[in-house]
Amino acid sequence: MNSIIIDGMSFTLPLFIIAVGGIYSERSGVTNLALEGFLGAGGFFGALFVAFTSSWFAASSQAPMYFAIAISMLGGALYAMLHAVLCIHFKANQVISGVVVNIIAMALTDFLTSQINAQVFGASSDRFVLSVSNRVTIPVLSSIPVLGAFFTDVYPYEFIIIVVAIAAWYLLYKTTFGMRLRACGDNPHAVDAAGADVAKIRYIAIAISGALSGLGGICFAYSIYSSYSASIYTGYGYLAIAALIFGNWKILPTFWACVLFGFARSGGYKIVQVLGMPSTYSDLIMILPYVLTLLLLIFFSKNNQAPRALGDIYDKGKR
Amino acid sequence: MKKKSNHLKAALLAVMGDEKRQNITVPLLEVLFGLLAGAVIFLILGKNPLQAFNAFLQGCGISAKANYAGGKGMFTDFMGYLDNWTPMLFAALSVAVAFKAGLFNIGVSGQMLMAGFTAMVTVGYSPLPAIVAKPLVIIIGIVVGALVGALIGYLKYRFNINEVVSSIMLNYIFQYVLSFFIFTFFINPLTRQSQAISDASRLTLQNVMIAGYKTVIPLGFVLAVIAVAVMHYLIHHTKFGYELKAVGLNPKASKYAGINVRRNILFAMMLSGALAGLAGVTYYLGYLGSIQPRVLSTVGFDSIAISLLGNSNPIGIVFASFLITVITKGSTYMSSSIGVDQQIGSVITGLMLLFAACGAYVRHRLRISRMELEEQKKEEKKEGNEKKEGQS
Amino acid sequence: MKPIIELRHITKRFPGIVANDDVSLTIQKGEIFALLGENGAGKSTLMSILFGMYEPDEGEIFIRGEKVRITSPSHATKLNIGMVHQHFKLVENFTVTENIVLGMEPQKRIAGIFPTVDIKGTNQKIAELSKRYGLEVEPTAKIEDLSVSIQQRVEILKMLYREAEIMIFDEPTAMLTPQEIESLLQVIRNLRDAGKTIILITHKLEEIKQVADRCAVLCRGKLVSECDVATTSTHDMAYMMVGREVSEEMEKEPVSPGEEVLRIENLTVKNSAGFPVVKDVSFSIHEGEIFAVAGVSGNGQEELADAIAGMVKAAGGKIYLAGQDITQMPIRKRNESGVAYIPADRHATGMVMDFTLSENLLLKNYYKPPYCVHGWLKRDRFDKKSSELIEKYDIRCGQGCDTIVRSMSGGNQQKAIIAREIDQNAKVILFVQPTRGLDIGAIENIHRQILEQRSKGKAILLISLELEEVMKLADTIGVIYSGELLKTAPAESLTVNQVGNYMMGVTT
Repeated sequence: MNSIIIDGMSFTLPLFIIAVGGIYSERSGVTNLALEGFLGAGGFFGALFVAFTSSWFAASSQAPMYFAIAISMLGGALYAMLHAVLCIHFKANQVISGVVVNIIAMALTDFLTSQINAQVFGASSDRFVLSVSNRVTIPVLSSIPVLGAFFTDVYPYEFIIIVVAIAAWYLLYKTTFGMRLRACGDNPHAVDAAGADVAKIRYIAIAISGALSGLGGICFAYSIYSSYSASIYTGYGYLAIAALIFGNWKILPTFWACVLFGFARSGGYKIVQVLGMPSTYSDLIMILPYVLTLLLLIFFSKNNQAPRALGDIYDKGKR
Repeated sequence: MKKKSNHLKAALLAVMGDEKRQNITVPLLEVLFGLLAGAVIFLILGKNPLQAFNAFLQGCGISAKANYAGGKGMFTDFMGYLDNWTPMLFAALSVAVAFKAGLFNIGVSGQMLMAGFTAMVTVGYSPLPAIVAKPLVIIIGIVVGALVGALIGYLKYRFNINEVVSSIMLNYIFQYVLSFFIFTFFINPLTRQSQAISDASRLTLQNVMIAGYKTVIPLGFVLAVIAVAVMHYLIHHTKFGYELKAVGLNPKASKYAGINVRRNILFAMMLSGALAGLAGVTYYLGYLGSIQPRVLSTVGFDSIAISLLGNSNPIGIVFASFLITVITKGSTYMSSSIGVDQQIGSVITGLMLLFAACGAYVRHRLRISRMELEEQKKEEKKEGNEKKEGQS
Repeated sequence: MKPIIELRHITKRFPGIVANDDVSLTIQKGEIFALLGENGAGKSTLMSILFGMYEPDEGEIFIRGEKVRITSPSHATKLNIGMVHQHFKLVENFTVTENIVLGMEPQKRIAGIFPTVDIKGTNQKIAELSKRYGLEVEPTAKIEDLSVSIQQRVEILKMLYREAEIMIFDEPTAMLTPQEIESLLQVIRNLRDAGKTIILITHKLEEIKQVADRCAVLCRGKLVSECDVATTSTHDMAYMMVGREVSEEMEKEPVSPGEEVLRIENLTVKNSAGFPVVKDVSFSIHEGEIFAVAGVSGNGQEELADAIAGMVKAAGGKIYLAGQDITQMPIRKRNESGVAYIPADRHATGMVMDFTLSENLLLKNYYKPPYCVHGWLKRDRFDKKSSELIEKYDIRCGQGCDTIVRSMSGGNQQKAIIAREIDQNAKVILFVQPTRGLDIGAIENIHRQILEQRSKGKAILLISLELEEVMKLADTIGVIYSGELLKTAPAESLTVNQVGNYMMGVTT
């Protein structure tokens, strides 16, 4: 049970913060299928930093991870501008743009990873090795029966995500900026008439989307792979989209959807382990989140209310 | 100064202004930008871009290499290129048909894998003679692909599930489930691929001697050419095509016109799936001869680029897929002769895709500048007339 | 006294059109100034310039005697200019208060640190403001739950909250009942009496007569005249607006109704959320009869037409066409059995905008011989048929049959839809808001077509938000309110005010 909770949360939280990124973009009215690309590109920048600076730090130092997280967020925001420019400036079809942005992220990061390994480090490798993150167990709280597992062997990034998520919630629901952002997703004309700049709000929303996805991406890289490579693109960006759809584009319900994904996955692995099945069976467990996504979409997608202006290309002149 | 930029604009409009011609000029521009960006990358890496691009062509048997191994020649390379082009054509048609109906089939890779796997385990490992096995492989490809497509279409129209999300989910499900089966039952421990299929079931004839060259003969290529022609007529000259396009452009008006929108969405996805299935069997049971577990083919993504560059028009797709296949197929040889990672092929394709995504905007701007220019001309004419009147 | 607003030589061009051509105006503080003109005369563009949504290509603007360049709506707001747009700029899933404060959000701090939008504290302020001007609204209600006239109040409150001194109303009465119009005009008078300057954009002459002090007439982007309302007759105003004599009355030849064609029995329609939007409606239409449904927007009119055409399923009741039960019939069968339909939203429903004109003109016949044989389309026959319709209905298009419909003007798009539907030679024709957004010439033309079909013995269902249009064309009027047909009676037995009362649900 403990390992289900521990592994479940370490998967849930990065997925959740990526989904929150998606919420920012979509609530501002821009369809975002590009989360996958954002998380990969953001993670790339963070891993790149680690690769270049590994000699500056002691081998056991945890500092690179914190730097990597910050740089992944910046990098994710930067890369997200590609989607923003395509959707807002070039008025491209937002679905197509999202997919294009994903494909470019995969091609570019894969190419650059092996190029940089070859040219700079003289190694023929398609990955940047990251250090193993340490884990934290909180005294007292971790000794609570069952629930104690939530405070046992926690990755430090989980705390960062929780803080960032609370900040994101506050920004979206409580501040002027968040209110205007949500208005953009419902009726951008109203925002324009109220004297706010729709394009600017959407650029910022997509940048936040990229930053949060970058955060999620680098956390996946640390927890699941301990390295960065093209295998980071395993569709978790799309899982995040499914999560935010179940969550009805609201932050708190989206969290519960992510919890469901995380626990289904860790539960599945536990079952393989307990039953002593050969490792190839883990391939079957891997499909659990995807199957769950389809099933949940079948049951829930009809009742959900997407932001009204989602996917519409905003043209000031049109009334 | 303003005058000068106007002349530039006028010149640009003279070439690109005509809306019918834009179907050719705009994609050409996109390709040009993609190649230029690629050239810049080669320059940064310290390589000669022209040499690099030539290496792409050499790898595809379109430009001659300096020397060839015994029994091989440009013709060998070119036939290998056709072998790779075949699934590309099918896959791009698959994306295009869906696009026409307003759907984005991003699941071509998964559909290919499912069709290829099914054909492999049913026919590929059977002792059936070629005359039965080859047509059977094609039929299985069509049927399995169509069924997967139908599932996506059904999820879309019955439960309103975005086809992009559902087909991505199916991609991963197929990828993992099939890799489980391959690892468990069909693995070749040496190659880490599935065991090779029988020669009788393979759609590409191997090691054929023609004019002293050892070469492959991709039988599927003929089928792909036929498919292009069929799709062209289907989309532009039939009732089915008219309904498909109407549904893609405006589902509400289509319903109003009495068109059965849901059935068309389902049909379009089935047709798209069937074409993806054909891409799958020509790829796995033609080009490759086996399946590598845990890997989705990049053909699915390349086909999106092809379809966008080719305006989802079957004829446009022939040219676009020719180009993209040169980049993907030629990248192997380019990598070995120039020494740049072959991933750069995907990067160039991605960049073209990026420019293609801006295509609609370019057309929009062109239309506006043309209207402005016409307005200006009208006014100048008017002023000119007024002057004349003043003089006389 | 300095004029509060002075526009000098304003010119604004859009690709393909000069929206405002050298327009100069002066407006005094505290007056109600009407801007009169047909659709497309450039009224809205001129006011959008004043509100900072566009910048003029040429010309100058003076506000309170000072030359200004108004670069954005927020800049206009700073100059105390407010505007109620024809299409309200409201966020539907926000509350009234949230909408009003959007863009000028009052701040408070949680725990003295975190800035946040103070909605609760503002609700009270909004309630007071609404009471003071006779604009009662519930500050915590969500916009999506409010009626059109209440939403309009929210728009007015938005201006008051921003302390606007100059208030622009763009066609404010288009969606209201006569009684709602009356109360809106009173609000406008109150605002003037409170010292506000009001600019009223409209094409309705009676309203101008009722409230405006002065009026300017725009025609094709040019200022035709500026006049005192009290000393100018409506006839003269109409003449200036159109630039020619308007035939006020249209000959409506007597037609004796024939057989019953369409019969609706206890029809109920539910929306996607499962709420009934058409409730137990019954009526019938005969050959040569125009049955007009009057009502305020959003009372089930469009759903009623959609149900008859088959676009939505009836949740209860029966629809008979010439005695045949068509309630469960698919759309195509209905089209073939004789239902023609001119839908309210031509862009979204009536046309495939990226198809060519000829493809659109055959939207309902493309699959039939001679246009389609064994599944193959015959393009030459498409074009032959389309050329006939283009000629007969005078559809103006740049490249003939191959014109992409998106590039055509709204009036010509509507002509094309009407041509297509009338050419079906159906038994019943549903016209839903057939003249919305068209200029007077086009409206006249369409009214003539409707009457012509009546003379030919077609049964006609006309659904319109323009009460004027209903009164002018109808043989029988049905008033719909909240999905129910409150009153059905011969047109000549009802006065405008009676119809207006029913439109608001008043039955006594």
